[in-house]
Amino acid sequence: MSRITHNIRSAAWVVFLKELVDATRDRRTLARILIPAVLMGPLMLLALSGLLASFEERADRREIVVAGIEHAPTLRNYLERQTYTIKEAPADYEAKLRDNKLLDPVLVVPKDFERELLEGEQPTLELVSDAANQRASAGVGTMQRLMTGFGRERASLQLALRGVPSALLQPVDVQERDLASPQARASRLTGIVPMFIMMAVLYGAMTAALDSTAGERERGSLEPLMMNPVKPIATVVGKWGAVALLGMAVALLADLSFVPAQWLIQSDSLQAMFSFGAREVVAFLLLQLPLAAGVGALLMALAIRSKTFKEAQASSALVMTVVGMAPMVTMFNPGGEAAWYLWLPGLAQNTLMMEVLKGETPTLWRLAQPALVGLALTAVCLWDVARSMRSAVAR
Amino acid sequence: MIKIEQLHKSFSVKATGGKALSFKRPAKQVIKAVQGITVEAADGRITGLLGPNGAGKTTTLRMLGGLFKPDSGSITVDGLPVGQAALARMGILSDAHGLYPRLSARENIVYYGRLQGMSRDAANARAEQLADMLDLRPLLDRRTDGFSQGERMKTSLARALVHDPANIVLDEPTNGLDVLATRSLRETLRHLRSPEGGAKCIVFSTHIMQEVEQLCDRVVIVSGGRSVAEGTVEELLAQAGERRFEDAFVKLAFANKEGAAA
Repeated sequence: MSRITHNIRSAAWVVFLKELVDATRDRRTLARILIPAVLMGPLMLLALSGLLASFEERADRREIVVAGIEHAPTLRNYLERQTYTIKEAPADYEAKLRDNKLLDPVLVVPKDFERELLEGEQPTLELVSDAANQRASAGVGTMQRLMTGFGRERASLQLALRGVPSALLQPVDVQERDLASPQARASRLTGIVPMFIMMAVLYGAMTAALDSTAGERERGSLEPLMMNPVKPIATVVGKWGAVALLGMAVALLADLSFVPAQWLIQSDSLQAMFSFGAREVVAFLLLQLPLAAGVGALLMALAIRSKTFKEAQASSALVMTVVGMAPMVTMFNPGGEAAWYLWLPGLAQNTLMMEVLKGETPTLWRLAQPALVGLALTAVCLWDVARSMRSAVAR
Repeated sequence: MIKIEQLHKSFSVKATGGKALSFKRPAKQVIKAVQGITVEAADGRITGLLGPNGAGKTTTLRMLGGLFKPDSGSITVDGLPVGQAALARMGILSDAHGLYPRLSARENIVYYGRLQGMSRDAANARAEQLADMLDLRPLLDRRTDGFSQGERMKTSLARALVHDPANIVLDEPTNGLDVLATRSLRETLRHLRSPEGGAKCIVFSTHIMQEVEQLCDRVVIVSGGRSVAEGTVEELLAQAGERRFEDAFVKLAFANKEGAAA
């Protein structure tokens, strides 16, 4: 018995080494996997930080776009005291807002504003933006607060004239307290990072999984391979080891690429909040282990059952889409995390990686659930591949 | 020594529906690929399996290689049933003999040696020995990517022989080879049959008469999944009462059902 297990182990090792050499010699394919895996995530992060930086810059600029400020000297006085620079709105501001050409909301002052204000007739101010124009609508909040401030100042002046304390206007003192740590706040924006690392695992594992199963048959090398005195399970385990390792290797590169990427982040606040150091790199990589193992085995099982390489590609594309898009579930289900999240490959990894990004440490049981799923998936799929490998030759 | 007795195997395959675009599940058809093949191949002899395309040669050899089990009948290799021990005593050059294009000829050969349980050094030494025997030296450290048919065949043969097996099984090895390559393969097989070459038991399947006439000590004629005649070339000529081997073959192979090759 021990001799047999020894034979299985050494044969699996031989197959593993050969598959690794074979895969790493395929430079062109490797380059096509590695370049997007390493560049995509950081590029997205850079673009995001650029967007954020432009928001911050606008907040610093303290500019306000107003149409008809000449009708409101009191308002102008207030805005200038708040150190805002007033910009005259272009005549066609509505069209420009719609076309995304004007990136700030516009305050529209009616003709009779000053008269109505002095007579206490409650004039109307219009805040014009376009919900489809993201950057303009993001500025509405600031503008609204500014106008509330103006209103409150007017009101307290009126009250003061009548000898009423201004605190009456504000019977309740409201103060905000945000419980999220800075990292947790940033994770709302850096939520794309886990998805890219998972895609890297999938891409790395996919080519090797297909090449070592469906590819091997199409090349005509599966038949002689199966005629060696080696138990099919040994061959399968060796191949799977290479598949999973390649998935992990691509994931490691994608993972590491976020470390230098964070130094290039333009937005100061994002940079302060998004910390991607040794802890995150290691945790992210370890979290991928069940995914690389399970999905690698699943891809092999699908590929060996396919009649052609083309069919194998179609079914693996399906797996990639389902697993890669699993994090989207969190978008459609904002009600928070459900218990089954951790049992679904892809979604589980995403959930745990987000937890790590927020600076929290997942509990052992939360880590064990995806690990168990990965283990079971691996065992079932490898058993199935070993069983169908011989008959696959003659199909 | 390879003994195949009364081998039977049938497959069920999907028939295509009548219409070109039909979503109905096609009915299954049972194809009797092998229905009574008996071959006895002795050591130090080249035994030819001669039959038309679709006679069941490849199916038989695949069962010998353990890819699937026969429905009935028995196969033994040096007295061992089909399985790992038997596979270790055979070198099989099967119908499909694809190489790994990104590995060199040497790496292809050594890989199989390692799978046969040889050490890296032993497999390497054997690869060089086989390269000398098969005229592969200059190709040994080149990737098999751009190899010609003959070069591929030689590499596959070296790969099958890496563990110096007592039994050698070749499925249509001369397919696609030119005259020179065929000749050199013939020489190699004669050498392997001789006592200096190890007095191997060689089973050789083909549909080419010439090969059989020139090479085989014994011939088994296979047709329609059955072994229909057996003996030396002379014996078969006598049995058929013909002077040309081709005429003898046609007579013996298609005696029962004129022309029904498949």
